[in-house]
Amino acid sequence: MTDTIVELTDVSRTYNGASGTVALDQVTLAIARGEFTAVMGASGSGKSTLLNVVAGLDRPTSGRIVVDGQDLSRASESDLARYRRTRIGFVFQFFNLLPNLSVLDNVMVPAELAGMARADARTRGRQLLEELGIATVERSYPTNLSGGQRQRVAIARALINRPALVLADEPTGTLDSHAGEQVMELLDEINNRGQTIMLVTHDVNLATSHGRRILTLSDGAMVDDTAIEARRGAKPADLVRLRAGEA
Amino acid sequence: MSLRFGILGLLADEPLHGYEVKQRFENMLGGTWDVNIGSVYQMLQRLERDGLVEPLGERGERGKQPYKVTEAGTSALAEWLEEQESQPQLLREDIYVKLLLLARHTDGAAPRLLNRQRRVYLQRLRDLADQEKAAREQGRLELALLFKGGRLHAEADLKWLDAAVDALEDK
Repeated sequence: MTDTIVELTDVSRTYNGASGTVALDQVTLAIARGEFTAVMGASGSGKSTLLNVVAGLDRPTSGRIVVDGQDLSRASESDLARYRRTRIGFVFQFFNLLPNLSVLDNVMVPAELAGMARADARTRGRQLLEELGIATVERSYPTNLSGGQRQRVAIARALINRPALVLADEPTGTLDSHAGEQVMELLDEINNRGQTIMLVTHDVNLATSHGRRILTLSDGAMVDDTAIEARRGAKPADLVRLRAGEA
Repeated sequence: MSLRFGILGLLADEPLHGYEVKQRFENMLGGTWDVNIGSVYQMLQRLERDGLVEPLGERGERGKQPYKVTEAGTSALAEWLEEQESQPQLLREDIYVKLLLLARHTDGAAPRLLNRQRRVYLQRLRDLADQEKAAREQGRLELALLFKGGRLHAEADLKWLDAAVDALEDK
């Protein structure tokens, strides 16, 4: 039996009352532990709303949502706050690092908020910085880092509480293509170690190069759910063919 | 034209016989084109007829005949490389014709059928990205660019498909 970590049943989210905007339209979805899911769609398609309800930042108007065994539709505000702090790791487009804290302190914040002892948080934070290849900048401040480094710090921060689920909202949106690729490879690595990841992106190349499952939203409804695989043996001639004019 | 000048370009590097031409050509294109040995010999004959290549020395073991580029061949190659490509874009894949007919014959099923096609493109994007990455890791930049070209085309097809689904649903 697959171990389901995210389960949405008929989840809808409307704004401004019954006749208002439908941001999510009866979405039913199950994500297995360890999956790397990419959520795609045009702006306004509902992909960020989907991420927000899974994150416990927003509540569905109707439907049921269970993440890591916790029924978010019934959770109290304080339960939701604890859920966000301990079960979810966020990676944002604009990093959202605190400018007046050092890299290491930024990474430690969620751990301390979740009640981890400062010494333990420091040990774990350093270990993550090491793993993500940014140990040398632990005392630097975010403004002195490149975009790619800042996003690595943000990823370390997202991982510090060993979250059940990492949610990444356009994590490469402000990075150049090289730094973006490195960040995505890092997410791949983290996923290969078993971390469940949900990535929101409008970039189909990003989604297909890294996701193993592509969900497509349109006007709040899920219109497609495609599993893709890395086919190591794919034959180049079956993918691209230069055949114009053998004459 | 690409086979003609592909062969000419390889012979401009060094003299080769037919089978070597086939192997080098396929390797240059990273396996994207399995060229028929018969087509290679035929093309070598045409190039010889046109004075762009000539046999070099005697036939070797098992009758293998190496060819080299002539002066006329060298300048024809240079001219071709400098020429800008101005052929009309080829849109001859079945999918384009299929779309034109789907709207008429499937009675509302076109968006669903196009969505299935979409999945094929999503997988293709993944495959091409993997090939591009592998080529890059082997240090074959020009081959990586070929796959990138394929990827961008697939991406355009996908956008086109999305536009078609939207348009047909709104109809």
